[in-house]
Amino acid sequence: MKEFKHFNAYSIEEAVSLLGRYGERACIIAGGTDLLGKMKDAILPAYPEALVNIKTIPGLSYIKEDGGMLKIGALTVLSEIAHSEVVRSHWPALAQAACRTASPHIRDMGTIAGNLCQDIRCWYYRNQNNRFSCLRKKGGRCYAIKGDNRYHSIFGGSVSGGCLAVHPSDTAPALIALDAKIKTSGRTLDARDFFEVKPVKTTVLKADEIVTEIQVPEPAAGTTSAFLKFALRKSIDFPIVNCAAMITLKGDRVAAARICLNAVSVVPYRAAAAEQVVMGKSLDEAVAEEAGKAAVSEAKPLEHNKYMVAIARTLVKRSILACVGR
Amino acid sequence: MNKDIKNYACPYCGEKCRSADELKEHVFQAHKGRGLPAPEGSIKLTVNKAEYVIRVAPNWTLYYLIHDKLGLTGTKQFCDQGACGSCTMIVDGKPVLSCMLLAIECGGKVIETVEGIAADGHPLIEAYVNNHAMQCGYCTPGFVVTSKALLDRHPDPTEEEIVEALAGNLCRCSTYPQHPIAVREAAGKMKAAKK
Ligand SMILES: Cc1cc2nc3c(=O)[nH]c(=O)nc-3n(C[C@H](O)[C@H](O)[C@H](O)COP(=O)(O)OP(=O)(O)OC[C@H]3O[C@@H](n4cnc5c(N)ncnc54)[C@H](O)[C@@H]3O)c2cc1C
Ligand code: SF4
Repeated sequence: MKEFKHFNAYSIEEAVSLLGRYGERACIIAGGTDLLGKMKDAILPAYPEALVNIKTIPGLSYIKEDGGMLKIGALTVLSEIAHSEVVRSHWPALAQAACRTASPHIRDMGTIAGNLCQDIRCWYYRNQNNRFSCLRKKGGRCYAIKGDNRYHSIFGGSVSGGCLAVHPSDTAPALIALDAKIKTSGRTLDARDFFEVKPVKTTVLKADEIVTEIQVPEPAAGTTSAFLKFALRKSIDFPIVNCAAMITLKGDRVAAARICLNAVSVVPYRAAAAEQVVMGKSLDEAVAEEAGKAAVSEAKPLEHNKYMVAIARTLVKRSILACVGR
Repeated sequence: MNKDIKNYACPYCGEKCRSADELKEHVFQAHKGRGLPAPEGSIKLTVNKAEYVIRVAPNWTLYYLIHDKLGLTGTKQFCDQGACGSCTMIVDGKPVLSCMLLAIECGGKVIETVEGIAADGHPLIEAYVNNHAMQCGYCTPGFVVTSKALLDRHPDPTEEEIVEALAGNLCRCSTYPQHPIAVREAAGKMKAAKK
């Protein structure tokens, strides 16, 4: 790694003030499992001048229930979420997502906020020494459009229609399906409004803004949730497609549904059409199948990723059925 | 850096002040309640029960510090991207990737490497040899260290728990079936020794 300055922040204010001073030239480091990989390979045109370590801020690692609401500190590592009895029993989709992320070692190091703020994994973007200066790095073109796009978006692109890199997070779709909120040093955002596609950016966060807490509302009576992931290997592997569903039943009819896919589009993809299919129905194989089809009705696969459409359709179907124990 | 200090730079955050009084005021406002800063880049850590106070550069990983600077070469680095588990060390009881941890962030931490595990005569070492849970041997320290952390938490893990705990370690020689056997054998010996 090249040289950089390193600051330990001891309070949120201190971190914000450090970030404010360096602007885009500094990065927050939490678990470091995403950031250090990027720095070792020098993938970006600019190298951070300074890192602001937020692990030294006390009191940012916790899982607690507060009036039915689940509150998770930004520095909480994924293994704690995966093993938490409270999360597993009331918000199973989130526990399952944390449990299927990366590998046991990375789950012991990687934080929930880092998981949400992680950068894309497009192999052109991640190539060493900024070899492909693509649209997402303010370059002239996207190399995936005509290149090997087997792991790219099946729902079109962004950054003025170009970038096709998918958002790789496993916990993001779970938090969106669970209607979570993300609290930062300056505001509280809906999880679904948190992601943004801009050059060298994946979130709406400002340069001096820090995620401090994740808030997940209490599930309504009759609510269940589930998360499923398809990856090439069981462990140490990013999702090819993942899907989280939260379903509320009144009697045997669906009274509310939130379904979110990820790794299929430039930001987590809310499968609104699938939600509409299941609303008011009683859930069986045929309804779930129809919902799966609806979820991918707007898919525009590229040359090498048509297989992802079939996986997305199946994961939507299976995650709906998983919610009702099938 | 040294030049900055002459300009009354804040030792905590580097903010430049014009006078000593201004610096004092800034430190009081922005960093109140903090102890004196350590000399820049200096950390204290415990490695295999020995204490070290050592100056580190911000861009050193924990792996680089321990393997290249302290000379404990038992830990092996392979992918340098957090994707293989080869460089695993136990930090404060957790098996983590030393290539993905900055040394400068390890102040006050208690670290255990494969050398420490061997020096303690841990039954895992013999069990790994007896069951030949290796071929080329490069990934083996990472497996042994991860298994040791598992046995610390779970003295009698099931095969499933062992497979789950080792799911972050890659072996290109595909010795996977031998690891649960070796770990179970070590767990058995530990149990017998306790009785
Ligand atoms: C081999 C490997 C496999 C992986 N597999 C998966 C996978 O299957 N699924 C998956 O979802 N992820 C995966 N990851 C990605 C990721 O590293 C982890 O999921 C982890 O959760 C990231 O957290 P961190 O604390 O280490 O983040 P860091 O690397 O510390 O930070 C990541 C980014 O988020 C920013 N950031 C961190 N905390 C905050 C905060 N509080 N406020 C604002 N910004 C912040 C940082 O500035 C940085 O840009 C994998 C990574 C590796 C190396
Ligand atoms: S998909 Fe996005 S990140 Fe990948 S090459 Fe195209 S513009 Fe760059």
